[in-house]
Amino acid sequence: MNTSFTSTIRQRVEGIETMPAIPAVFLPLLKMLGDSAEEVNVDEVVRLVSYDNTIAAQCLRVASSPLFGLAQLPRSIKGAVMSLGVRRVETILLTCCLGQAFPAEKWALDPEVFWRHSLGCAMVCRKFSEKLIAVDAEKAYMAGLLHDLGFMVNCLVFPKEFAATMERACQQGIPLHEAELATMGFTHCETGQALAEKWKLGDDVVEVIGHHHAVEQCQKAQPLVALVHLSDLLCRMRGLGYGYYERHKVDLISDPAWAILLKEHRELEGMDLVRFTFELDEAVEDIHALVSTVFGSAPATA
Amino acid sequence: MTIAPQPAAAPLTPRKGAETVDPVYRQIRDLVYKVSGIYKAEEKLYLLADGCGRRMKQLNARTPREYWDVLTAQPGRDGELRHLLNEITIGETSLFRSQPQLDALRKVILPEIVAEKTKQITKRLRIWSAGCSTGEESYTLAMNMLEESERLLKGWTVEILATDLNDRSVEAAKAGIYGDYALRNTTDYFKRKYFTTIDEKKLQVRPEVKKLINFSRLNLQDDSKMLFMKGMDLIFCCNVLIYFDGASKSKVINHFFTNLNFGGYFFLGTSESLMKLNEQFHLVHFPGTIAYWKPSLSSGKL
Repeated sequence: MNTSFTSTIRQRVEGIETMPAIPAVFLPLLKMLGDSAEEVNVDEVVRLVSYDNTIAAQCLRVASSPLFGLAQLPRSIKGAVMSLGVRRVETILLTCCLGQAFPAEKWALDPEVFWRHSLGCAMVCRKFSEKLIAVDAEKAYMAGLLHDLGFMVNCLVFPKEFAATMERACQQGIPLHEAELATMGFTHCETGQALAEKWKLGDDVVEVIGHHHAVEQCQKAQPLVALVHLSDLLCRMRGLGYGYYERHKVDLISDPAWAILLKEHRELEGMDLVRFTFELDEAVEDIHALVSTVFGSAPATA
Repeated sequence: MTIAPQPAAAPLTPRKGAETVDPVYRQIRDLVYKVSGIYKAEEKLYLLADGCGRRMKQLNARTPREYWDVLTAQPGRDGELRHLLNEITIGETSLFRSQPQLDALRKVILPEIVAEKTKQITKRLRIWSAGCSTGEESYTLAMNMLEESERLLKGWTVEILATDLNDRSVEAAKAGIYGDYALRNTTDYFKRKYFTTIDEKKLQVRPEVKKLINFSRLNLQDDSKMLFMKGMDLIFCCNVLIYFDGASKSKVINHFFTNLNFGGYFFLGTSESLMKLNEQFHLVHFPGTIAYWKPSLSSGKL
């Protein structure tokens, strides 16, 4: 991509100060997510979650979803933090914050479809990392949730161009990033990266957002970027894509990202990918339910 | 810190049936998967429970735990497991059983095969329905190929071989007469175009569809006969190998690999896995379905 494109994107992204109201806890939360688990203070997390009553109530509901593992509705935020752990509660809070930050409007990419894909990818990243040794599952979740941030930027900042992109992708059944390149000359990876840098998201997440379609090109956190890349592909093949039929086959094991991940995680060799796929299908219904609760057009507290 | 009572914080709807299922059924699910490769997803556990229930009645087993003891006392496919497999796959026989498979076939695979073979003089497509039972799958494939005969497959010859071990099944398949249950997924469009009415409840496949298919009896374990099944572009073998033990299954799959042309595909049932019985096939994902691919010579993936 040439430099004039880059500067145009940066300028436009800089201009999105006036995004739909970002909850007050969002930026402190992002900062906290960058800290290591040992540094995070439980009371601080409880304070952040409790800051906004709507978000707090939503967090409790999300925590009781089958996807997050609490069989019963937790009675208090602190109770939820104690049973789920600080990191998981942080990711729940992040999920709810994003739902609040970008209300459902008329987007070229249907917001519900977008959130289903993002949340689906977050879940798959977490499940996937649980199959591997010594991978921070909550960090993988966060990376999955945010990887396509650039589509939000595109919808907000380049609505016309992106609508044309969507049309091309649907008509030809090609992956969205290919349609972006053909139509706009840049992709959600660049716009997402610009916003991620503006928000000062951690380096690893910035890498994921910028390179999840070109894993070989990333400098840092390659295994995490590879994990998100593979989870993204899997979601798109299992009903959690962008709402249209992608006319191509996906050979995950021959994908360069698989080799990159395998280099760090030999245990990947023993993974039963078909069973993993079937297990992912089980979560699809829960993801739909969660998305209509957190991101749906109906008021979250209704 | 405890926040005020949250009237809004009702838990998300639990997954249908999953919460109430006896945990023994998860053990049975895992055993069935390990031995046969059939995976019953969490939300379909009630189907597995129904199947087990019918077997329990037959055997006078009072609890799922008692039934588990029967299953594990004779874990081979000649034992109780065979009856259970029959119970849980019996409802899966119908025309148009898996739309995602048909979509992958028409939207991705056929264009790919046609492009690959475009330089060949004889434009011929060979499909094998291995373990065709009473013909539902074979006719579904034939009708879908006929739909493409004026488009992608214009000027092509399509041959479908349909084989089964059971003579009676082969005879029933040749007759091509189906009732409501087998036709429950068949649209009016296909019913009108490719069937004639026999009576109020039964339709028969038209001769022009039958013309595409050659039905015969074949034992997949007959090595000498298997060697003759050459030059296939597509092989479908749904819910057949689940009854085979590991060694026999592996042998049949190796035959299938040889029987396929380079660039050909092998499909199993929708909830069935090859597990790791063959390292030569590439596991590939299409939207909503998986298949096994024998890489084409031009793909560089052999």
